[in-house]
Amino acid sequence: MSVSIPSLEDAKCIFLFGYNPSASHPIVSRRIVRAKEKGAKIIVADPRVIETARIADIYMQINNGCNIAFLNAFANAIVTENLHDKEFIAEHTNGFDEWWETIKDYTPESVQHITGIDPETMREAARMYATAESAVLGWGMGVAQQKQNVLTVHTLAAIACITHQIGKPNAGLAPVRGQNNVQGSCDMGMLPNFFPGYQKVTDPAMREKFAKAWGVPVEKLSDHEGYKLTDVGHNAEEGKVHAFYNFGEDPLQTEPDAQDLKRQLQGLDLLICQDIFMTQTCMIADVIFPGTSWGEHDGVFSASDRTFQRFTAAVPPKGECKHDWQIFSELSTRMGYPMHYEDTQEIWDEMRSLCPTFYGATYEKMAGVGHAQWPIPTIEHPGTPIMYLGGKFTTPDNRANLMAHDWEPPTELPDEEYPLILCTVREVGHYSCRSMTGNCRALSLLAEEPGEIHIHPDDAKARGIYDGELVRAFSRRGEAMSRAVVDERINKGTVYMTYQWWIGKCNNLTLHAVDPRSHTPEDKFSACQVEAIEDQVWAEQHMQELYTQLKNDLADLASAQDVEPTSQRQPQETRESVIV
Amino acid sequence: MEKHMAVCPYCGAGCKLDLLVENGQVVGAEGLDGITNQGELCLKGLHGYDFINDTKILTPRIYHPMIRREKGAPLERVTWDEALDFTAQKLMDIKAKYGPDAIMLTGSSRGPGNEANYVMQKFTRACIGTNNIDNCART
Repeated sequence: MSVSIPSLEDAKCIFLFGYNPSASHPIVSRRIVRAKEKGAKIIVADPRVIETARIADIYMQINNGCNIAFLNAFANAIVTENLHDKEFIAEHTNGFDEWWETIKDYTPESVQHITGIDPETMREAARMYATAESAVLGWGMGVAQQKQNVLTVHTLAAIACITHQIGKPNAGLAPVRGQNNVQGSCDMGMLPNFFPGYQKVTDPAMREKFAKAWGVPVEKLSDHEGYKLTDVGHNAEEGKVHAFYNFGEDPLQTEPDAQDLKRQLQGLDLLICQDIFMTQTCMIADVIFPGTSWGEHDGVFSASDRTFQRFTAAVPPKGECKHDWQIFSELSTRMGYPMHYEDTQEIWDEMRSLCPTFYGATYEKMAGVGHAQWPIPTIEHPGTPIMYLGGKFTTPDNRANLMAHDWEPPTELPDEEYPLILCTVREVGHYSCRSMTGNCRALSLLAEEPGEIHIHPDDAKARGIYDGELVRAFSRRGEAMSRAVVDERINKGTVYMTYQWWIGKCNNLTLHAVDPRSHTPEDKFSACQVEAIEDQVWAEQHMQELYTQLKNDLADLASAQDVEPTSQRQPQETRESVIV
Repeated sequence: MEKHMAVCPYCGAGCKLDLLVENGQVVGAEGLDGITNQGELCLKGLHGYDFINDTKILTPRIYHPMIRREKGAPLERVTWDEALDFTAQKLMDIKAKYGPDAIMLTGSSRGPGNEANYVMQKFTRACIGTNNIDNCART
């Protein structure tokens, strides 16, 4: 995010595009409600009448998969009405004329059949955004999990730049992160192209720096980018990847086309899972390492808006669980690269010393309810709630490069056999693969298997489906049983499923098609069909049986840990001395 | 009742909270005056703590290292030493046979935190010698 979450409430206009904060980030949503109370204009473009749509000044129910067509037309409306900031464009951006060459053809009228939006409404929204004193453009997975996701982000950023709704207080871009520490994973270099602090692995100077700090010859550090996570399945199948070390994720629940991925992962020579729970992915692992849980260890998380904050252990580790960083260190030591840390602060300080952008974020600064928001290059630096102030961008010439792209239709369009669009969405009471929230008493009471499939009343009626009934949803990849919610707040022709459910696993249906740049899967758009199940008594029973079976399978497999090890080997003296 | 400062492990908002502990069990969560949440918490923040206590509502916690000695063999609890030796040997064999890029790792964007991820990528790059490390940001 170029803005901070608190700054949202002082923006004069908030435009949400493919983002449902009340389900995915209720505390961010609260800032948007406050902004509204302070007089801000709210614009929402989303295929569903989400909660924020109810308080919006302008709500546009866009068609699924229209993003770039919509945004190009939105930009077109701004420039056609002369609402762009020519001075800011001239001083702080590159490539306006070339950008306009693409945008000029996208009038709101010319793409109405793609967007589903009345041209005058779009023009009114464009005026509202462009003329606001300060505006924040927020988006979520509705942008990210689409075929042209990176190109859509280019387009959104260009809209903020040509209107000067970036580079000043309370204005900018607000792409939110789904999981609590996705920002942190990226900050820490859990990326195939970056060391920690977004320093390129292909830059010889960076390799030199990290090699020196880590005490390895520079040739040891790989000089080329690595594989992306969404490639692991087919790389395993093609024999490129033989071992996969999966830390704290459950890809067989959360990744697209889960059945195919399972087959691919089963073909690996070695699958390591480090987790706190027995998950579906752990079930097929060759090695399971028990890590400590949140609540049992210390550390720092990065929020979506680049805010570092500390968290501490509340209870001691259970059983033989070790802190994750201890497990990596001990494994590394055994593989000939000794690592040893006393605590998380020692790790954090090593990281800071190698990352100029994070250097000022000390543990002391983050004590209690303190925080540190990067970029924070020095100890004295106050942190950076709003980026690019004064129109100074982080490019070599400090200017933003405007980029425009032509719209392309999604990969798998509905047809006669699979006439519905499947869009996967978020659940307010459950999170990710549900291993955490599904084990919480209060939250597990809120929603249960097999989850819900939201369907428009017309689509339900055409299929003889009644609200609350179990239905069968299927695609070219697989099928799932789910519970129908007949919902007039969604658009006709699309069904919506959340991705937490085992029996109602939407990822049995989703398509593994990825954006060529980010390799993000197109989870928001694939073709499917839904049919009624006549015998509801059987269906309810069958669903319960499947659910109980899977729970029992997980518990049975985990019960292997209740048997004391048979071959108690003595720890080797030499190894112990290396660790110490 | 003890109180321990934490940050919510669910969405990316970054809400500060206290975990309330009684007799070694986490029994509640209270909002703290963090920069983002200003004392408030949502449903998940308020009620999303008791998985730590191993409620076994959905799936059990894992307390001990386990391995399969061969592909398809049953899972077996082993000592940490054996689990780590076994894994180190397997990884070294794969690296020797196919090169470091035959090993892929993914970090956790959930409860572990930045320090655990930093150490994992250091292990990936400095010990294994590959940049095959990623996280769930793509999905």
